[in-house]
Parts: sequence; C-alpha cells; structure tokens
Amino acid sequence: MHIPDGFLSPQTYLPVAAVAIGAWAWAARELRSRLDETLIPRLAMLTALAYGLGLVMVPLPGGTSGHALGVAILALLFGLRLAFLAYSGVLLLQALLFGAGGITALPVNALAMGLAGSATALFVFRLLRGLNETAAVAVAAWASVIVPGALVAGVLGIQPLIAHQPDGTPLFFPFGLEITLPAILVPHAVIGIGEAALTLLVWRYAGMRKWKA
Amino acid sequence: MESMTARHALYLYLAVLPAPTFVHDARLLALGLLIALALAGAERWHILKRSLLAILAFNLSVSLGVVLVGLWRGSIDTGWLLLANLRVLLMVYLGFWFIARVSLLAALSGWPTATLIATLALGQARAFERLIRDFRFAFASRSIVKPRLLDRRRLAGAQAVALLDKAQAQSTEVALAMRSRGAFE
Repeated sequence: MHIPDGFLSPQTYLPVAAVAIGAWAWAARELRSRLDETLIPRLAMLTALAYGLGLVMVPLPGGTSGHALGVAILALLFGLRLAFLAYSGVLLLQALLFGAGGITALPVNALAMGLAGSATALFVFRLLRGLNETAAVAVAAWASVIVPGALVAGVLGIQPLIAHQPDGTPLFFPFGLEITLPAILVPHAVIGIGEAALTLLVWRYAGMRKWKA
Repeated sequence: MESMTARHALYLYLAVLPAPTFVHDARLLALGLLIALALAGAERWHILKRSLLAILAFNLSVSLGVVLVGLWRGSIDTGWLLLANLRVLLMVYLGFWFIARVSLLAALSGWPTATLIATLALGQARAFERLIRDFRFAFASRSIVKPRLLDRRRLAGAQAVALLDKAQAQSTEVALAMRSRGAFE
C-alpha cells in the first residue's frame, strides 16, 4: 500500500513530515537503550522479512499497491517504537533501492504502516489475548493491514479536495474517497488473511525459540 | 556529483526532490527531466529505464483509471495524465540517480540509528537472497522429475525455518562483532 512520490501534495506531506520527524525521534530514544546482541539479530531478521514482503506488490487501481506488511510481528515481538522505527527503515530502503513508495511520501507511509499498523496490532492483540492467543495474533495481523490501508486510502482520497486548480481539476492524486477506500480496502481484506497466516507462522517460530516476553 | 560527499549529495537530493510537487506545468517538468538526463552522464538511459519500470505498474493503473473515468464523462484529462506521469517519473529518476552515484550507508553515516537499521536490514536482505537461491538450486539438483505440489510445500516449510535460523545465526555474529567493537557501550 505504498504511496509513490508525486501523488501527494506539499500541503499533505510537509505537515505529516513534521509529525513523522517527531515520532522518529521519540522512537529512536528507545532503540539505543534496548540494543544488545540478543535484540539485534531478531530485529534485523524480521526487519529484513518485512523488507522482502513489502517488495512483492500488486498494483491496485486506487493508486497504490497491495502487499503483506510484516509489521504486526515486529510490533508483537519488539513493541510499538522499535517496530515503527524498523518499518520506517524498510520503507526508506524500498523507496530508494526499488522506487517502491517514495521519499516525499515516506512520512505518510511510515506513520500509516509503521506506527498505526504497529499500534493496531498491539491494541487488538492485547484486547483478544485473554480469549485465545492464536486468534488474537491472527486478528491483530489482519487489522494491522486494514487500518493502515484505510489511512492510506484516506490520505490519497482527500488529495482532490486539498490540491486542485481553480476549475477543480486535481493537481495530484485524482480519485476521491469513494474510489480509494474500496480500491484499497477490499484487496487488503484478503491480503490481511495471508498476513495473519504469515504472522502466526513467525509467532510460533518465535515461541519455539523462546523469544516472547 | 563525484566531487561532493555522500552527505552533501543526500542534502542536495532532499532539497531538490520536493520541487516537482510545486510545479504544475508539464513543460517545466519535462524541462526538469531533460536537465536531469543531461546531467546524469553515461548512466542516464539505464536510470531512465529503471525509473520507467519502477513506475510503470502504478502509474499505468492510475492513468487507466483516469482514462476510463474520462471516457465515461466524455472527455479525457490529457493535461493531468501528462503532468502526473512526468512528475512521478522525474521524482523517481532523481531517486535512482542519487542512489546510482552515492552509497546510501555513507549518506546516512551522520545518523547512527538510521545507519544501524539500514545496515542490518540490507545485510539480512542480502543473506535472505543468497539462502533462497542456494535452496532453489539444491532443490532443482535433487529433482529429476517435476516436483509435486506436496514436495514444493515441504521445501517451502523447511526453507522458511532454515532461513530464519540461518539469518538469526548470521546476525548474531554481526551483533557479537559490534559488541566486541564497543557498539553497545
């Protein structure tokens, strides 16, 4: 669901960049205090997994792409701040090395997928963990795809309203919410099932290796 | 770009990149692309080809959507099609040009956290690529006839666990090396 460069107006990406810089600074404070030779290999491995997953993309008519994220497992194993930071790194590399996503769109992509995706996964997992852990992981992973999808669709869908010529012609992304929301959310509801299966697989692997807190 | 440091190149890239989003005239964007092509030297066509391939799927899907909506309304907005596609192409071209000339890790060296994450993710991604290739070759060499779906599923399962184990072992070595050099002090 990466938004590429050139589809977001400066009225959107500049204020969001200011918010993202603050969020990255907040997240980085935790990284240095938690880094050790146990955390680094796990974080590196799952960050690389997220990097690989994000590159298997299917373009969607709503102006973005469909792919698994891998952010739920990062959030469940490492917490909100590290997952957000690691996923932001993934997005940066994907943008620069493969042109997947973009640098001006990075703050929006990072806040939607990295921060909101992680926060959603943690919230849903904590909410449902008492009922059934497996179901909690699966639903958390599914929701970690849907909520960022809705945010990305929302940001794209408001572009015609906030950046247009005097005659109403859009200057950036041309479609409104009535197109972006279904175009992004419907495929991601299916992709979310794959994300849930994958997250469960890695969650069980983490359990076998006694990584879980 | 050779004479400037990686960090200065990064600053220049970040300063120039937003410019196309403030320009709403396709002719100026085309001029910007021509200037970028002229300055990129011998690699220009390779970078252009890479950029076109990178944006092809996304821009094609959005452009087709605009064309379909235009057909339905009775008028296709060719101005928007030209403007948006040129803008995206120019921005992606600038990114690939930057990365073709500058080491990303060198450019990020002023930000230890970003360098750390980029180093770890890139190192692991390359380790993953190597391992997947080795597994594929090994599986192909053991398969005299076309493998059944069940065999492929077993391979995928074994590959996934081995991939995660090997990746962890490799990054543990990296982390121990970092500790021995005082990275966590």
